Amino acid sequence: MIKLAIYGKGGIGKSTCTANLSAALASLGKRVIQIGCDPKADSTINLLHGDPVLPVMDYMRKYDEEPEKIEQISKTGYGGILCIETGGPTPGLGCAGRGIITTFSLLEELELFKTFKPDAVLYDVLGDVVCGGFAAPIREGYAEQVLIVTSGEKMALYAANNIWSAVKNFEDRSYAKVRGVILNRRNVIGEEEKVRAFADKAGIEITADIPRSDDITRYEDMGLTAVEGDPDCEVSKRFIALAKTLIEEDENK
Amino acid sequence: MKNVSKIIPCYAADSSGVCSALYELGGMTVVHDASGCNSTYSTHDEPRWTKMKSNIFISALTELDAIMGNDDKFIADVVSAAHDKQPAFIALCGSPMPMMTGFDYDAVALEIEAQSGIKTIPLHTNGTRSYIEGASEALLEVVKAYAQPCEKRDNAVNVLGLTPLDFPLGTDTAIKKWLADNGFECVCTLAMGDSLDNIKAMPSAKVSLVVSYSGFAAAQYLKDTYGIPIVCGVPLGCEYPCDLAGALFWAMEHNEDYFYSAVHQSGGDTVIIGESVFASSLACALESDRRGRATVISTLPTDERILAQGDVCLSAEEDIEKYLQDYKPACVIADPLYKYIVPKETAFLNLPHFAFSGRCYERHFTNVIDRRLQEILR
Repeated sequence: MIKLAIYGKGGIGKSTCTANLSAALASLGKRVIQIGCDPKADSTINLLHGDPVLPVMDYMRKYDEEPEKIEQISKTGYGGILCIETGGPTPGLGCAGRGIITTFSLLEELELFKTFKPDAVLYDVLGDVVCGGFAAPIREGYAEQVLIVTSGEKMALYAANNIWSAVKNFEDRSYAKVRGVILNRRNVIGEEEKVRAFADKAGIEITADIPRSDDITRYEDMGLTAVEGDPDCEVSKRFIALAKTLIEEDENK
Repeated sequence: MKNVSKIIPCYAADSSGVCSALYELGGMTVVHDASGCNSTYSTHDEPRWTKMKSNIFISALTELDAIMGNDDKFIADVVSAAHDKQPAFIALCGSPMPMMTGFDYDAVALEIEAQSGIKTIPLHTNGTRSYIEGASEALLEVVKAYAQPCEKRDNAVNVLGLTPLDFPLGTDTAIKKWLADNGFECVCTLAMGDSLDNIKAMPSAKVSLVVSYSGFAAAQYLKDTYGIPIVCGVPLGCEYPCDLAGALFWAMEHNEDYFYSAVHQSGGDTVIIGESVFASSLACALESDRRGRATVISTLPTDERILAQGDVCLSAEEDIEKYLQDYKPACVIADPLYKYIVPKETAFLNLPHFAFSGRCYERHFTNVIDRRLQEILR
């Protein structure tokens, strides 16, 4: 099973990359679960044609109890992708990291993987590894590999380096390993060289190179991923190529 | 707000269940907590505290350690203490604060085991669940870690789920005697009067006798791994112990489970409140000794097969109170602290439960194994 966590600086395009990668895996016939681990709960919106799923934390807030079935906190989107959002506490209150841990314990209790039998699980994680909660997706039993989304912008690379260091710190704990970088281009000067320099220093590869494209914005405005909107456009081809690489690696494990 | 009790207390917490289950096994149990759990455990939940030594440690988690995620300090303290004490194993369990910060017991156990060279067992308590869940996980993990394949022995029985939170001290001796009187060999009384050597030999048994739900998960593991069938029940009263011994023989012979606590007929004018295996066994004993039928309210986690049809699982104070009001029993048998939510016109028989009322009624505790009901119920 492909178990992947996507990290990166806020606003760098993690949800866009994750949703397009999920869509690409699904278009290749894989059963996919995407779990958005961000209080904003917007990771899966473009897989659901703009009709969002009720986040787990919102369910608990609304009903004052834990859900008893996966169906209560999930929706099926494009290509049969099971979409789940952890959601979070009331903005400015509570503990978002704790919300992620609670959601993960709950999904375990509900035997999500046993029931759904996915080929791939993608965790779209908020920004940086700021506390224990945001490291939950890379714990043993969840993601096995991390992809870091970055552009050539200074702050994006700074965050990428922080994430790489945090994951490296957990080497003794059987946590996920950094698989590589998704270069999500912003067309800054010397972008590829800067990202390559970071990747070389960290000893990881640039696993995918996503060009800046209006196709992404156009289809997101329609509540779609680019992969669903136009599987033949250049951006979609890159995500499908990444999906094929991951599938091949998984099959050869 | 269903979990709020206005009148009755709550049961001992899951961390106390872990400490109680592992108390006599020669390990070192570390509760990751500021230290409140230690005083609660030693003062209210552990009658052996002043009589028998055991390595129970508290990490003394500070606010800063919790905020900063200073796992390294915890790891260093545990490794250092283990170096001094040389325990047979280390068990880690937790309290509400590490739960809030998402402390990763599995990963930290790996690090401690690597640094200390001592088997380290992570247990996922958070101080908010009942002792049953903590003791259940502790007994399961210790059996998983130490039980070894060995030759079967004739009429050999494992007893599982025996802790002072459910049974008075000395119950292990009483249950061994009862087994011996009925022609059985006792392999292990997990976890009172027991040792790791006996746990290693558990797969040699031909049947597991579960005396509280704390022992059920470990018994299920022994069944799944070594094919040992499960019998649930506590030998109480005059007739029921003979029947239960028969159930043990039957399970051995047929290699099938026998949930012998569920054989009573629910109903009648008596209600028994408490831990599922004990309470339903008591209902069986009442019926066998022709003292009428009883309905069980199981107030703690259980498996529905342990209860008879018509018995109920209720944990919230308001639900128990309402059930009793609607049921209108002539008599309720329960821990004395339940008396305050029982309708006034209902007769009440005291059956102190250490996990519920702690030391309040300690002097009234009496051995219940293989004894007449009039001696147990006063």
